[in-house]
Amino acid sequence: MTQQDRRDEEMHGRRADFRYALHLMRGNKLVLVGLVISVGTLLLTGLSHLLVNPALANQQPLALRLCWNNPLINWGISNVKTCPTSYPLGTDAFGRNLLQMIILAIPVDLQIAFEVVASAVVIGVFFGGLAAYAGGIVDEVILRITDVFLAIPAILLAIVLIVVLGRSLPTLTLAIIVTWWPYYVRLMRSQVITEKEKPYVERLRAMGASSPRILYIHIVRNSIYPILIQATLDIGSVILTVSALTFIGLTPSPLLPELGNLASQGIANIFTAPWLILFPGLTILLISLGFNLLGDGIRDIFDPRLRR
Amino acid sequence: MRLYVYILRRLLLMLFVLFALSLLIFYLTRGLLPPTSALAAYITPRMDDSAKLSVARALGVATTSCPSFQAFTSLQNGCVVPVWEQYGAWLHNALTGNWGYSLLPNVAPLTPTWDTFWNRFPFTAELAIAAAILTIALGIPLGIISATHNNKLPDHLSRLVSLGGYSVPQFWFGAVLQIVFVLYVRVNGLGLLSTSSAVATSCGICFANPGTVTTFTGAPVLDAFLSLNGPYLWDALLALILPALTLAITSVGAITRIVRSSMMDALRQDYIILARSKGLRERAIVYRHALRNAILPAVTISGLLVSYLMGGVVVVEIVFSWPGVGNASLAAANVLDVNFLELYVLVTAVIIVVTNLLVDVAYGLLDPRIRY
Repeated sequence: MTQQDRRDEEMHGRRADFRYALHLMRGNKLVLVGLVISVGTLLLTGLSHLLVNPALANQQPLALRLCWNNPLINWGISNVKTCPTSYPLGTDAFGRNLLQMIILAIPVDLQIAFEVVASAVVIGVFFGGLAAYAGGIVDEVILRITDVFLAIPAILLAIVLIVVLGRSLPTLTLAIIVTWWPYYVRLMRSQVITEKEKPYVERLRAMGASSPRILYIHIVRNSIYPILIQATLDIGSVILTVSALTFIGLTPSPLLPELGNLASQGIANIFTAPWLILFPGLTILLISLGFNLLGDGIRDIFDPRLRR
Repeated sequence: MRLYVYILRRLLLMLFVLFALSLLIFYLTRGLLPPTSALAAYITPRMDDSAKLSVARALGVATTSCPSFQAFTSLQNGCVVPVWEQYGAWLHNALTGNWGYSLLPNVAPLTPTWDTFWNRFPFTAELAIAAAILTIALGIPLGIISATHNNKLPDHLSRLVSLGGYSVPQFWFGAVLQIVFVLYVRVNGLGLLSTSSAVATSCGICFANPGTVTTFTGAPVLDAFLSLNGPYLWDALLALILPALTLAITSVGAITRIVRSSMMDALRQDYIILARSKGLRERAIVYRHALRNAILPAVTISGLLVSYLMGGVVVVEIVFSWPGVGNASLAAANVLDVNFLELYVLVTAVIIVVTNLLVDVAYGLLDPRIRY
């Protein structure tokens, strides 16, 4: 059998694997729901600046603040101001259309979430792989550093970092990356430790492949799936963390349309304008639920114990 | 390795972690910004330069030989104390029991950080313990029901709870609870449950004048219990319900999920078939045979849950205006109060590391196959 044949066979095997995964996916309704929500969120992210003019976020028609005119929901609170024109989800504390602000906010949160998760995966794969493959003193040093970061609640370290480095979206992202990577290092390390004992690694070594090549091309390719599943699940968690941080006031500007930021206007008006916190929070819940359903479903599909 | 050698080794590692953490926090709050920023919270517009300089000296940021405040702000040679020296001084003080003064707003000037922290800590401990109890009381039964009724209605409901639990933003869940129990579920014209202060006096089913309690521990529920003040205990518990539920929601989701999957694994094992064929009752099979084996993974992640809870208190305490340390830590970070932050981080780290150690030891005791 030539090398080309082997490659073809491997490709065929992979394709069949993928087709089988799709087949399993079709049978799992929850994954489909998750897929629809995640894809919908991504679409909305791409289209948000076409749907809503981003300049609207800077306009503050203060006369329109905290008004509501959606007849389908009656809050049952006295003194709810009625809006002169139609605002489906009411207006926020600056008089902006809440629905438009939510649409503008989704890409902000999603971008941070993807940046954080991607960086954490890269750092985790690099250092986790290194720790497991090199072993010895390298392993010990990397593990002890993760110990330090895992002994402190992520949100506290993030708070201190943002206060010190300044309140902006890049520092927010950086602060969350700093608290997020240790989990991926640990996860990757445990994957590689079992993977590196397999016979094919021995074979590669006998063929004279260099250690970085064995580790970062062959071993990583065979142990990346759990990391990617965790990454899908973590998109939701990162969005929760970002919004919690901006909610407690670590935001570049109170005007920034960001889901936690929008909700934090709501906590001051919670008993007079409940919609201010309800809808941004509901959006966060929906997005994070979507990615969690997707990640859960993918894990079930790739879990060999549940397969066949 | 013998067990006590293992524990000793882990405790030594904890010392290293604490040292590294204190260094990290100190470097972040004092080392990254220009030295004048350490003074910002102390300086008032009316202070003249000599007063500012003495503040800088008192904080240990400026040297005693520094001639003037201008020299300090222009970072003249030998005027600013290097960060590692500042850290050394702080570490020496901390090890001798002097944690400095706290900068927090709403705290009287010259209140030692140690007192500020430990006055607030019982509130946080009470909240976290209540949330931990809720997590166990809700999460484990939900997981069991889910596994024993696989793919039936109870399973779907409990999966919904667990998925929702780790997808919901805690601050939002807390806010929704407040909206529901203040605006919509009302008794005698008042909201049903109290939502903001530690002990309620304005909620539908509270006692208006619960009296006072002696401060034994600082935690309202425990104090009321020890002082045998029934109405106060009731009010303190009512005030605790909503924040504790909010704090617990994420970990309930996590525990339910873990217990469900490990129970389903356990129920598939051969010894369960043996137990069934012996004719044991279903209860005995589920609780005595399956649960005993399925509880181990839940024990493993309880270390992680403590970390969740300790992080969650920051947000939950802010949403509910709970007078604990989590709430204060945000204020401390905002004014770069290094003393309070260090104490908070170190106490939290000790709690997390010790829990992890206990979990690992308990794991070995519960599962005889594990050796250290």
